[in-house]
Amino acid sequence: MTSAAASSRQRVLDALNHRQPDRVPVDFGSTSVTGIHVSVVAGLRRHYGLEQRPVKVHEPGQMLGLVDDDLRDAMGIDTVSIMPAKTSYGFLNENWKPWVLNGLEVLVAEGFRTTIDTNGDTLLYPQGDLTAAPSGRMPAGGFFFDVIVRQNDFDPEHLDPADNCEEFQPIGDADLDVLQRSVAAVQGCGRAIVAGFGGTGFGDIARVPGPGLKVPRGIRDVTEWYVSTRSRRDYIHQVFQRQCEVALGNLERIRQRVGNSVDAVYICGTDFGTQSSAFCSVATLRELWVPYYREINNWVHANTTWKCFKHSCGSVERFFETFIDAGFDIINPVQCSAVGMEPAMLKEKYGSRLVFWGGGIDTQQTLPFGSPAEVREQALRRLEIFAPGGGFVFNTVHNIQAGTPVENVVAMLDAVKEFHHA
Amino acid sequence: MPDLQKLYDAVLNGDQKTSVAITREALDAGTDPMVLITNYMVPAMDEVGRLFECEDYFVPELLLSARAMKGSLELIRPLLAARGDEPVGRVVIGTVKGDLHDIGKNLVGSMLEGGGFEVIDLGADVSAERFIEAVQTKNANIVCLSALLTVTMPSMRTTIEAMKAAGVRDKVKIMVGGAPVTSQFAEEIGADGYSDNASSAVALARRLRAEATA
Repeated sequence: MTSAAASSRQRVLDALNHRQPDRVPVDFGSTSVTGIHVSVVAGLRRHYGLEQRPVKVHEPGQMLGLVDDDLRDAMGIDTVSIMPAKTSYGFLNENWKPWVLNGLEVLVAEGFRTTIDTNGDTLLYPQGDLTAAPSGRMPAGGFFFDVIVRQNDFDPEHLDPADNCEEFQPIGDADLDVLQRSVAAVQGCGRAIVAGFGGTGFGDIARVPGPGLKVPRGIRDVTEWYVSTRSRRDYIHQVFQRQCEVALGNLERIRQRVGNSVDAVYICGTDFGTQSSAFCSVATLRELWVPYYREINNWVHANTTWKCFKHSCGSVERFFETFIDAGFDIINPVQCSAVGMEPAMLKEKYGSRLVFWGGGIDTQQTLPFGSPAEVREQALRRLEIFAPGGGFVFNTVHNIQAGTPVENVVAMLDAVKEFHHA
Repeated sequence: MPDLQKLYDAVLNGDQKTSVAITREALDAGTDPMVLITNYMVPAMDEVGRLFECEDYFVPELLLSARAMKGSLELIRPLLAARGDEPVGRVVIGTVKGDLHDIGKNLVGSMLEGGGFEVIDLGADVSAERFIEAVQTKNANIVCLSALLTVTMPSMRTTIEAMKAAGVRDKVKIMVGGAPVTSQFAEEIGADGYSDNASSAVALARRLRAEATA
């Protein structure tokens, strides 16, 4: 542990409380939307001359690699991560075993069980159960798993909200033990603790198909879900209401175990934006989502010191006032390339009320396809805009994708260091 | 004879039950199926596109209207085929090799159908060979390539290169789209057009057809 890490938590807390930190805090790897593809983690370990060992895949869908302490030190990262006990595919992240991704040896959890289909695609199974229908598919030569939609026939006149809530159950003692142990292991490490407890993502489209369920019931098809937010709004309300009740109970049980050791909590990853527009109106957000967001965030603020983290890709500036009103403290990934997401405007309008966790560099064009000089230039510009007065945690716009040149990631991190020393 | 304005309204409001019922009634009463499409359904979908552009409608509304339109088209298409009527264009659409994302592609396909095009949907993770085969066998005028991932965008380029090598590139216009795709990228890989949303994809397809037939 370096001495710099000792002040990392304070740096993040300053940023989260809109005070000017000694330098801009940096996050990579604390959540499933601020991470790094396992192949790039391996490349970074090579670049920084760290021990060469297979990297653990801690998030199987996006194949995110675990960022260990030595790499955190090398990259200047100020955060650590607490993930739910089970992955989105329903198996525990434990008992690591070797697996090969396009020639790269990695480690995956014991429950990460796959088969190869006749096209050469890799299939991943819910809860590691090879007798269940597979719930994830990685195309041959691909880098990620996409959720397989397993939509059973349903009677639209007799939908039961319990079916869409099967994955939202009261947290058990075993999972609480895992969370408690995970927090204890990093408590006092000097870095800010960012937790994803699960269960508070309302209608997160990556989770709607139920990849961790052996036989998902209810509305599980992505298109059908989107349509239902318009045509079956009462049903969606019933699902969210049930989910919210369970989540509030779980948060209280988690709070009893981990207290205020956690600094920020990932609440919801539902995307409301597209590249150029939105998935719904502000009025729909307020009517369908905000009541539940408010219940969760109000509970968090009334009972803990955790800060509430909202992820939404795309063109979402129109929703920022509503997110603030609903009690969110942090917005991620700050997709500045989307329409209406101009960074200086965002900082000016919302910088004192929302923490921008992300926005450091574009991951659709600049980071994967730009030159190191272009990467440096954009990162420095974003730092100049977002850093003043705190309220900024440096991170890329969403995860660093497979295929991103390591020299570009290094150029980005060097730009952060350059900014600090300027 | 049913009130055909209700067909327009049903498509606009995404009411599939009503749009199918009125279409059936109208066809039973002897209405020319082309009249239903040209005078009511396409104008309704154009209005849906307009509402989407000005952000009164969003993806769920677009999907509901497209479903209503599709329900009616399923009744109409066999009649048009039987009498040899040609669509305004024939589009082969798919998400490129290595990419399984299909929501955006499905939306574009639905809106193109709503715009009067015949859409041959090859699905997701589609190889260049399958695009080429579809162009050769389906008499297509337009090929739409979709990609959501930065790592699969290069498949768009290789698909176009393979179409050139197979001698089918110049038989069609090629449109590209998807979250990381830009007009600059479209130009770089030699596509004929780029659209950043499903509604403007219809306008682009119409323009490309007009250019090709001018």
